[in-house]
Amino acid sequence: MLQYLVILLDDTSTSYCHYGVNKKERRLISLDHLRQGIRFGMVENLMIQFVYPDYALPQEYLDVIDTIDHSNIKPMAVLDNDTDIVVLNSWDYDASKLKDAVVVLRTGWKQLNENHGMLKDLLAVVQRLNVVITDVERMTDSDREQYKTVLASLGKEVEQLYVDGKSPQFNLLTDRMMLTAMNNCNAGDTTITLAPNGKFYTCPAFYYEEESNSVGDLDSGLDIKNKQLYRLDHAPICRKCDAWQCRRCTWLNRKTTLEVNTPSHEQCVAAHLERNASRDLMLSLRSKGTFLPDKEEIKELTYLDPFEIATQWK
Amino acid sequence: MAKNITFIVTKDCQLACKYCYLVGKNEKEQMSWETAKAAIDYILSHEDEFREESVIWDFIGGEPFMEIDLIDKICDYLKTEMFRRNHHWFNSYRFSFSTNGINYHTPKVQEFIKKNISHLSIGITIDGTERKHDLNRIYKQSNPDGSEHGSYRDVVRNIPLWLEQFPGGATKVTISSPDIPYIKESVLHLYSLGIHEVNINCVFEDVWQEGDDKLFEDQLMQLADAIIDGGYYTDYACSFYSENIGKPLDPELENQNWCGAGKMLAVDAAGMFYPCTRFAGYSLREKKPLIIGNVRDGIDKNKLRPFLTLDRMTQSPDKCKTCEVASGCAWCQGENYDAAATSTVYQRATAICLMHKARVRANNYYWNKLYRKLELEGQREQYEKNKREVKPVDC
Repeated sequence: MLQYLVILLDDTSTSYCHYGVNKKERRLISLDHLRQGIRFGMVENLMIQFVYPDYALPQEYLDVIDTIDHSNIKPMAVLDNDTDIVVLNSWDYDASKLKDAVVVLRTGWKQLNENHGMLKDLLAVVQRLNVVITDVERMTDSDREQYKTVLASLGKEVEQLYVDGKSPQFNLLTDRMMLTAMNNCNAGDTTITLAPNGKFYTCPAFYYEEESNSVGDLDSGLDIKNKQLYRLDHAPICRKCDAWQCRRCTWLNRKTTLEVNTPSHEQCVAAHLERNASRDLMLSLRSKGTFLPDKEEIKELTYLDPFEIATQWK
Repeated sequence: MAKNITFIVTKDCQLACKYCYLVGKNEKEQMSWETAKAAIDYILSHEDEFREESVIWDFIGGEPFMEIDLIDKICDYLKTEMFRRNHHWFNSYRFSFSTNGINYHTPKVQEFIKKNISHLSIGITIDGTERKHDLNRIYKQSNPDGSEHGSYRDVVRNIPLWLEQFPGGATKVTISSPDIPYIKESVLHLYSLGIHEVNINCVFEDVWQEGDDKLFEDQLMQLADAIIDGGYYTDYACSFYSENIGKPLDPELENQNWCGAGKMLAVDAAGMFYPCTRFAGYSLREKKPLIIGNVRDGIDKNKLRPFLTLDRMTQSPDKCKTCEVASGCAWCQGENYDAAATSTVYQRATAICLMHKARVRANNYYWNKLYRKLELEGQREQYEKNKREVKPVDC
């Protein structure tokens, strides 16, 4: 069931996820489409999230946006008091400006390996940190091994924060400990995107990568064909998986396996390395005292890719 | 279990069968020796990725025997290389052909058959009586007067030679809407030619007209009467009738995919790999080719994951999940893909639904009638002990 509507305010609105923004020319959504989009969200009872470009919007746009309860996703360049989620597209940031912020940090494997030491200070000040790996599908054997090391190192930092009495929220390490079931992106199932062209897409990535593949428009409404394939129960690998923090990115699925319901080997391995690092963190914290007593222990697994045992499920 | 590897050696054929799903046949795309060799070298040098006990090297077209010189060279190379590499498929392989039978008697084809007979399976497609066969299986070139040129006579003349060389030879018959009135006479005709096993399936494409299911059921019941009253059931088989079809399926225990796409491998003239031939461009009406790799870069295993995790329930609509006569209802993953509302293999096409239900009703009639007859004659026990099994026809 739909719950969220993402509205891309401009063709150059920041990415807050795995996809890249391949449109370079500024093109604001028309005011008419913006009003219609908000109206759509209101009548469908959806929570609206606006995604901003890196320049200030005209006042008339801000006035229209302000007609509805909403969240704002903004790039660092236009960070202000009205920002709910701030997106960092590079490691060149000033952590002191991010106190109590909800932060998305987009990074590639190489940059993560080089800069992960900076995350200690960021985790100490932000309310929540989501690290999004923008080239997860190009994971090499070397990246995999380094990621394991990076996660172990970050686990130590997070553990220390807990010891110091803080409760950091970090998607790669703490989400899995807190969750009791899959908590994925759910694009096309609970979330839909309105692009500046007035058409709906299952997520922003499909607008940038497959613009002709819209799932309806503001005039004719939504028309998501094979909608069931965006649901967890129609994802044969994922529905048995317990890497509950995985984004389960349907766009990456489509890009790598040609099916929105089937993850790539690389996405599964990355999610399982995070899951296993969360397990180690949880065990370590529990060795120091009571920690999340109502949560079950994360089991040890013999694989990093559930596809390896998928044939046993059938 | 055998790995099925298909060489699409040509996209050309002498015929232009009306029901043929190969919408992109052409005279230009013949496989080169270099491409065939590169495919073989890739496959045999990745033995760890092809762990099946045995292999079926399949050759299709178009009409494969139009490229007999290339096929002969491929097969010689395969034998030499499997031996040279001490590959686990050496001496555990077959060469398999589905042919229209027109070139079967030619010296080159016959020479190839004699050379490889111990590792060879060949099926000739003959659809039944002359009028049934020629209804669909016509030459590309019309007769001089502009009328259709049927291929029956050029095929049927090769049936005795084929059965002499392959005594258990089975034929595959395809049923489309216009063929329905001729099913009974066609199966009996094939029996009369000495073909003991007739494998039939309805096309998966959405070709059916209103009322076809009733006509189909009637034909199958007439055929059932003819087979039982004529005593053919002891030595002849027709895949329409099976005791295993027409029952509900357990959503968990009987959740397997029907089709082997993805477990198979096909390669075309451009050196592209496909999960099955039905995903090559010349087979698709609506969708882009679904390419899973090529002979230079190998197979992209991520693109195989959807096929290898497909199950019946996930791809089926609700009416199939709860169907009380679900068993034996087949599907073709390629047709599912081509007919799907989006670019997916996870949407089962159901154009065949009413035809399957008609088949189930006629099948029930067949077994009830046969077993009653056998009971009355005191032959049931002996029949059950000796009955021949017919493999399900999947594509």
